[in-house]
Amino acid sequence: MKSASFQPLRVDLSELGGMCEWARTGNALHRESVHQFLGPLVIESLERYSRQMRFGPLGEEGQRRISASRVTICGCGALGTVLANHLARAGVGFIRVVDRDFIEIHNLQRQILFDEDDVASNLPKAEAAARKMRLINSQITVEAVVTDIDHTNILSLVSDVDLILDGTDNFETRYLINDAAVKLGKPWIFGGVIGSEGQTMTIIPGKTPCLRCVVETSPPPGMTPTCETAGVLGPAVSTIASFEAIEALKILSGKTDSLNRDLIMVDLWNWSFRQLKVAALLGKVDCPTCRHGKFEWLDGTMGSQTTTLCGRNAVQISTRRDDILDFQEMASRLSEIGNVRHNAFMLRFETEGHEFTVFPDGRAIIKGTNDIAKAKSLYAQFLGS
Amino acid sequence: MPLVRIPTPLRPHAGGNDSANAAGATVGEVLNSLTSDHPDLRSRLFDGEDLRRFVNVYVNNEDIRFLDDLDTPVAPTDEVSIIPAVAGGSV
Repeated sequence: MKSASFQPLRVDLSELGGMCEWARTGNALHRESVHQFLGPLVIESLERYSRQMRFGPLGEEGQRRISASRVTICGCGALGTVLANHLARAGVGFIRVVDRDFIEIHNLQRQILFDEDDVASNLPKAEAAARKMRLINSQITVEAVVTDIDHTNILSLVSDVDLILDGTDNFETRYLINDAAVKLGKPWIFGGVIGSEGQTMTIIPGKTPCLRCVVETSPPPGMTPTCETAGVLGPAVSTIASFEAIEALKILSGKTDSLNRDLIMVDLWNWSFRQLKVAALLGKVDCPTCRHGKFEWLDGTMGSQTTTLCGRNAVQISTRRDDILDFQEMASRLSEIGNVRHNAFMLRFETEGHEFTVFPDGRAIIKGTNDIAKAKSLYAQFLGS
Repeated sequence: MPLVRIPTPLRPHAGGNDSANAAGATVGEVLNSLTSDHPDLRSRLFDGEDLRRFVNVYVNNEDIRFLDDLDTPVAPTDEVSIIPAVAGGSV
């Protein structure tokens, strides 16, 4: 089983304390059964990463660093599931997956960690992804966080990790991630995809331009296509997410010499691959974020409490509450005017051509409109404000 | 004549073309002749005389903000690219 140069990682996982919260992650039973079948040596060693370690630039030292590293994946849709899949298999020691959404049938075309059972179970994406990741690799710690990333919670989601990965679908969240990353001095990797085209860029605060250096402002709504109008192809998303993942492995293993310094643009349908030279923008652009230290998304002066959702004719409204909603009570009231069902994670309510998905913290996704004002009215009308 | 690469979202406003030759010795001149051929493009690229803040332009893979902005010289064999920000990620 062992090669001469291979030293098994002799670590009693129970001694790692907070890093391996098997009870909380629900992994204990799975881990026990895998141990019985494969034996503890294989599970707790680096053997599973042997092919990765044989890749010269990485080696065993790189793998040990990867295994000891921590990342947050912001968003667990198409980009996020590919990122989560790669990083779980590569043995990143701690992976926090943050997503606000639930799995729907039209996600399965490209969101590789999900299946039809997950749709039927109404599982949050973060939770379903975490369950799959633990089955793939019981050696790592996966934390699922079902929430909308905003300026009030982002620092708590990224302060304790080495790297932040972009699996989001909107610029508001990306500028927020950029603010947090620059403020904390943490690397992050941007990725975006529409149709068959995608972009990615690796951002190391202080050493590369930040997102706002390169993309000063995002286009106004309606000015550019979205996933809804232009569609999106699975292989295009997988490609961009894989570019992000390989950059993650370089950063986490400490092999930063080969990092991407360009804005990469690909069009898989038309076979174009371009490396736009953005490195020289550092210090040249009068960037409010990384030159002047203005964190406008992080301090809440930019960004809103409502978001139109890419590709879905829907609006999300966040109304942060200290209390947890009582779904039983809400369902009994709403059942008189529409169809209602709920589980511990969400309540779904359909009426007059609109579908509300309500979360315990008061956040709601209202389908059937792209109009924020209308969505706010519907929220107030049916859920109360 | 320099070649201008037109991104997918703007192609409907440029006769469906993914690229077009446009005369000019600077980026500004090239984009002016492009938008006089395709007037619909003008308001999508420019706010008055200035480029819109969310439109990035590259000459041979170099951002013109690092060069000389709209005054950046362009040779007949150069390629000018209009690069929009990609917002999607697909939830």
